[in-house]
Amino acid sequence: MSDSRDDFIIAIRSALLQKGAKQKFSIFFLISLSLAIITLDIISFPATIFVRSLINDAIYRTSAYASTPIKMYSYSHEKIRNHLSVYSDNEKLLKELDTYKSKKFNIEYLETENKFLKQRIDIYNSNIEETSVLAKVILDKESPFLKSFIVNKGSKDNIRKGMPVLNDFYLVGKVIEVNYFSSRVLLLNDLNSKIPITLQNDNVQAILSGTGSKNPSLDYLPENYESDVGTTIFTSGKDGLFKAGIPIGKISLDKNNKKSVSLFVDSDQLLIVNIIGNVGENID
Amino acid sequence: MAINYLKIKGQFLQLGPVILFYVIAITELSSNFENFYLNFFSFNLHMMIIYFWIIKNSDVLGIGHIFFAGIINDVVISHPLGTSSLSYLVLALCATYIKNATLRPRMVTDWFAFVPAILLSNSVFFIVTIKFSELSISYVELIQNSFFTFLFFPIFYQFFIYYNKLIDNRDL
Repeated sequence: MSDSRDDFIIAIRSALLQKGAKQKFSIFFLISLSLAIITLDIISFPATIFVRSLINDAIYRTSAYASTPIKMYSYSHEKIRNHLSVYSDNEKLLKELDTYKSKKFNIEYLETENKFLKQRIDIYNSNIEETSVLAKVILDKESPFLKSFIVNKGSKDNIRKGMPVLNDFYLVGKVIEVNYFSSRVLLLNDLNSKIPITLQNDNVQAILSGTGSKNPSLDYLPENYESDVGTTIFTSGKDGLFKAGIPIGKISLDKNNKKSVSLFVDSDQLLIVNIIGNVGENID
Repeated sequence: MAINYLKIKGQFLQLGPVILFYVIAITELSSNFENFYLNFFSFNLHMMIIYFWIIKNSDVLGIGHIFFAGIINDVVISHPLGTSSLSYLVLALCATYIKNATLRPRMVTDWFAFVPAILLSNSVFFIVTIKFSELSISYVELIQNSFFTFLFFPIFYQFFIYYNKLIDNRDL
């Protein structure tokens, strides 16, 4: 019994300390180094934050260049698919255009009414100037544990943590990490994403929670509340980070007939995004 | 001239697994292959590469490369720096132990010894991520990933065996 235990310890020790002709380092040394790096990263001294930011910028850039062939393949595939579906897309768009034309007058009336009501309740602050920074998606690595992408704008362009990220007029996610030349955007469908939202028509408040799959879910809806399929959801602005009324998606049924949210933006197809911030506002 | 050509070809062949290892870490190609339509069957190619090459030909994939590619992987997928390195090194440690302890290596023994190695390595990854970062990880996905990494290992094993033979022929 004790012999087999001794053998095990000897074998483990040998595996930990073994070096070869081409092995410059032992596993023990590198495991210790990894633990030291993890500790430094967790403690977050200003110096380690700066070094991490430099490493991030360097690796993101290298990664963006190294991923060019893969991006080219996806881009060509998408272009060909779009080209083949031009006719059906055109028919669909003409129908949608008719619908929107009929809704236009109604929207104009609602806008005027909304402006008037905001002035009446004195929350309309015309001093806040909104800025928008266009950023290019440079890296979009799929990970089962974090749904995010990297953009080519960082603290150099006044990007700050927490800023909302839009594609056209639709919410995509928020900035969670800022380096000097680059930033990381957390997508709405990530497990760590929680956004306060409001439902169209009912003015019901809820939290949009990422599930890790393509469609996020709605949490903290009022008890016994049944949301309708097709209802549009918007940001409620209750977190103080996002302005109210940014469209996010529609409630839909998934394969198992369970309600979830279909986002307006397909995060796999993003090339350019808008990062929104208010001048003079410190989101951190 | 011909000798030089063979030498260069041989050196390039030996670099193959290292290049593949870095390419998966640094490009948008997912090391978990979860973007290839079948998300359910995601598996971790990094782990298969480490386990196989440490067991069969540790001169091809150095421990230093494993550490460095782990750091790159952490930066690219935004995990606490050093997490992937630590989990890969734990796998390398298990593989070295199995290599030292096995007298007559066969595919089936290597395959089944891969189970505790993956579980230990992924447990380290899970604990470090959960305890020392604000990230949430679905452990069901992690277990699925571990299972399919184990299940698909023999397919890659055969491919890597063939590749290893090409490298050995070069040595001859």
